[in-house]
Amino acid sequence: MGINKTMAGAPSNKDPKLSLLKEKGLIKRFTDHYSESRGRLIIYISASLMIIAVVAITLFLTVQGLRSFVIDRLNVWSFVTGTEWYPDRENNPSFGAFPFIFGSIAVTLLSAVIAAPVAVGCAIFMTELTKKWGQRVLQPVIEILVGIPSVVYGLIGLSVIVPFIKQYFGGSGFSLLAGSLVVGIMILPTVASIAADSIRSVPDTLREASYAIGATKWQTIWRVVIPAAGSSLITAIVLGMSRAFGEALAVQMVVGNARGLPTSIFDPAATLTTIITLSMGNSTYGSVLNDALWSLGLILLMISYIFIVIIRFLSKRRKA
Amino acid sequence: MIEMESSLLSFAKASEKETSVLIQVKDVDIYYGENHAVRQVNMPIHERSITALIGPSGCGKSTFIRTINRMNDLIPTARCEGHIDYHGINILSPKVDVVKLRKEIGMVFQQPNPFPKTISENIQLPLKFAGVRNKRKLKDVTEQCLKQVTLWDEVKDRLDRSATGLSGGQQQRLCIARALALKPGVILLDEPTSALDPVSTAKIEELLLQLKKDYTIVIVTHNMQQAARIADYTAFFYQGELVEFGTTKKLFTQPEKKDTADYIAGRFG
Repeated sequence: MGINKTMAGAPSNKDPKLSLLKEKGLIKRFTDHYSESRGRLIIYISASLMIIAVVAITLFLTVQGLRSFVIDRLNVWSFVTGTEWYPDRENNPSFGAFPFIFGSIAVTLLSAVIAAPVAVGCAIFMTELTKKWGQRVLQPVIEILVGIPSVVYGLIGLSVIVPFIKQYFGGSGFSLLAGSLVVGIMILPTVASIAADSIRSVPDTLREASYAIGATKWQTIWRVVIPAAGSSLITAIVLGMSRAFGEALAVQMVVGNARGLPTSIFDPAATLTTIITLSMGNSTYGSVLNDALWSLGLILLMISYIFIVIIRFLSKRRKA
Repeated sequence: MIEMESSLLSFAKASEKETSVLIQVKDVDIYYGENHAVRQVNMPIHERSITALIGPSGCGKSTFIRTINRMNDLIPTARCEGHIDYHGINILSPKVDVVKLRKEIGMVFQQPNPFPKTISENIQLPLKFAGVRNKRKLKDVTEQCLKQVTLWDEVKDRLDRSATGLSGGQQQRLCIARALALKPGVILLDEPTSALDPVSTAKIEELLLQLKKDYTIVIVTHNMQQAARIADYTAFFYQGELVEFGTTKKLFTQPEKKDTADYIAGRFG
């Protein structure tokens, strides 16, 4: 009480308690303030660097991406919806990016369809069925899988999945399906581990409630735990999708990189990322092709932002 | 539900008429790993009455009540010995189908735990688990159960809204309604009012007094006044042992054991 009083009121030198407080180190010294503000400065700098980086990348990409429309006078609508991508044609080159936008979205959705059920199943297995084993064995295995470089997934796709599709479904094997399978397998561990976290965060009281009304284990998982984990499971899947959407290398190795619009999942295709990585090296800075590739990058960024907005929206709804 | 009842009850319809004791607990020991949590409990639970289990924290009363519908099976280290006879069947036998048992002996917990679903889904879920598909029946039971817990008038206009939007007291009554949906023989309540305000507590106590006309109720409570107010029989647990069991009146007015007298007088606990 005495201390509070002294701290609250302006401490004066006449106060006999003040010397005691100084002795006990209760009064802040100048150097304390100094180290405090230095630490704060470092943290503020890190945070602002982060923000500056995001803003700078967005601005740079926007400026570069708009060049093709502003300087090269490409029509935005025909750029987005056109299906003919012949940037190197001598007379009348055409820049129709729709096949790549379609390819990216198709690979993303297909890989999510492939990965989501397996990942959620895996998450249920490791959280609800074999809690100890899942924690001790499966969790580290999944972490290793997350860390495998995408080129390795691409190589496996190239040597296993592509020949398989070629043999059983015909064609060259390089296809939308091959790309989706490779990316699906690649995002599987990411989705599984986030899904497992969200299932773990379902309070045990709900499981108890379910068992107490005579539910079986399966009924509890299916009708109580999964709905309760609900939107954060979807967040896990959307996060996986955003990763699939941005993947270039592994897809490029197996997708076939055809410039036309695929008519089935066994047809070769291309995505926004693969076309950028393949063409960027062959284009000169300032050329129409180069500008068009920047525009593809801008589209990529915009769709990525949409994914992030979806994720934020879902996690907000969960809290509410 | 009905078919399981007959299979459970077919054994000993006769014995039910001879005595009003519905559950007989004989020599029950409960262990958590090496820890001997509950020792040698013997007590009857009388039909259509309220039996209160009282005692200080950690005395084993919650552990014991969770054994009556085998909720402790969910804890891997928990082990239970002895007999709990219910209609001539030993509940603790490994042959007992715990899923059916829990449909017959329902439970309500300390923290209200409605499912994050709509109010009507909360009551219909146990029925759906039991295989009831008839929409008409689901609706009827929902209304009936909500009326039984006096929640119907408060929520009838928002049955399709989430149960998590209800107040704590309403949630707890919903949980009781959910436990009633399958028309169990016994309802176990593990400190159902300790997270609630006095008004909600009073409502639930009133409700339990209504429900005991049709159901056998066992309630764990921290609150001795609550036991004194609503229970017909009271069991005093202390340090893992059942110290004394008797009618509430006798236990509170003429306790036989010194520990009981001390606890009731508030000298410890």
